[in-house]
Amino acid sequence: MKISGVRYLVEQGIENIWKNRMMAFASFCVLLVSLLLVGVSVLGYQNVNSMIGGVESKNEIIVYMEDNTSVEKLNEIGNQILNMPNVEEVSFYSKEDAYLALKEQMSDYDVLFESLGDDNPLVDSFRIKIKDIEQITKTVSQFENLENIYSIRAPYDFVNVLTQLRLILTWVMGAIILAMIVVSMVIISNTTKASVYSRREEIQIMKYVGATDAFIRLPFFIEGMITGFFAGCGALVITWLVYDAVVGILENQVALLNIIGIGSVIQFHDIYLPVTLAYVLGGACIGAVGSAVSTKKYINV
Amino acid sequence: MVELKDVSVTYSSGVDALEHVNLKINDGDFAFVVGASGAGKSTLIKLLLKEIEATSGIVTVNGYQLNRLKKRKIPELRRTIGIVFQDFRLISSMTVYENIAFVLRVIDAPRKYIRKRVSYVISLVGLQAKVHAYPTELSGGEKQRVAIARALVNDPKLIIADEPTGNIDPELSYEIVDLLRSINMQGTTILMVTHEHELVRRFGGRIINITEGQIVFDEIVGGLDEN
Repeated sequence: MKISGVRYLVEQGIENIWKNRMMAFASFCVLLVSLLLVGVSVLGYQNVNSMIGGVESKNEIIVYMEDNTSVEKLNEIGNQILNMPNVEEVSFYSKEDAYLALKEQMSDYDVLFESLGDDNPLVDSFRIKIKDIEQITKTVSQFENLENIYSIRAPYDFVNVLTQLRLILTWVMGAIILAMIVVSMVIISNTTKASVYSRREEIQIMKYVGATDAFIRLPFFIEGMITGFFAGCGALVITWLVYDAVVGILENQVALLNIIGIGSVIQFHDIYLPVTLAYVLGGACIGAVGSAVSTKKYINV
Repeated sequence: MVELKDVSVTYSSGVDALEHVNLKINDGDFAFVVGASGAGKSTLIKLLLKEIEATSGIVTVNGYQLNRLKKRKIPELRRTIGIVFQDFRLISSMTVYENIAFVLRVIDAPRKYIRKRVSYVISLVGLQAKVHAYPTELSGGEKQRVAIARALVNDPKLIIADEPTGNIDPELSYEIVDLLRSINMQGTTILMVTHEHELVRRFGGRIINITEGQIVFDEIVGGLDEN
């Protein structure tokens, strides 16, 4: 096909939107709602997941060192821990700091501390935050292989609960997202079919005068792509406004933020690029392919 | 040229629409195909456009043997055929000019040629004053003229007119047949399907009568105009 031919078909696609503006508007609305359903479900899942991550990050493993471990040895072990693949952050907590903190916490029991005199029964420790909490067992066993370890305290129960929670959430949200995608596809398919049905005669006439399938489909493809593109833009703007409003409300919930951590709520400006691409490209692709596929039934004349 | 050799069509419902039909229409012929409803006229048209397959026999249209024609070659075949429908089948969102021009756009003709050719066929059917009108703004006769111009615009070897006078006044019917006859005089083969016996009697020519899927009459008869 010549470039002028392609240009004609593209122009036809654009013209068709105006000529069939009611059906184009219906397709636009359906695509917009469908994209919103899927988009909001995915963003909701990501945020809840991030919040669980926020709760996870507040938990740490404590590695208690044997008493009288030399400073050099402590430095060496600190570096070994830091170099482990699943370790995010390591902080050293000396037995002196631990003693002072304990004394402060138990200020009502001064007598007890006085009886100890200059003796400090506590030991040096490392407070470790790990990257993937599901790998906690493996990481703890790596700590156990280190020298001069007195004991290790790891929040296994808490991790189990979070792991289960994340698993359930993944399944539930996955099912919701899948259902949203299926519902959206059915609605989009029916709307594009209705749009194409209203122009079935036009398609049949094209076939009778010798138009190829590609010639017939390209304007529908362009039309669907443009409608989908604008639906994607619309969904993006709505998501942006609603998302920022919801984040604003969440950020005022101090009690909640104390539990999940302030960084656990994903800010829109951090994700605008993938969200924009997903909406706009997703809308354009679904619109284009949906329209082109829907012509198939009427093209076989 | 159209040639059917021992062609039968049986639909999946078991109905025998055409039975052992032999027919030859040479280049430049004008033939009326007549017959009652359900006689097999529409099946014949569908067969020639390769909308359906013959159950048996050989169908040749404009040099294409349809039994062997691949699906992707169907547009090529149809570009050698002009088709005129009883219900006009114009695209309502396009003007007269666009309805005709779009046939040439299908074959990727140059814009300059499209302008020239479309203007020419519009003048042939006498619709110069309606170039920018939409189908809804036209009378039945005018719509059929547009349909004929559309069928004619890519200079087909064969024009199939399926009851072209079925939806228009009797006086206008004669004009339409006259128009088709004048196109035939330029060398285009015309196959006109009709059930209007009065029209056929008046114009005469080659008459093919299909009854219950079989050709029961195929002869040239004189028209009233000639008498």
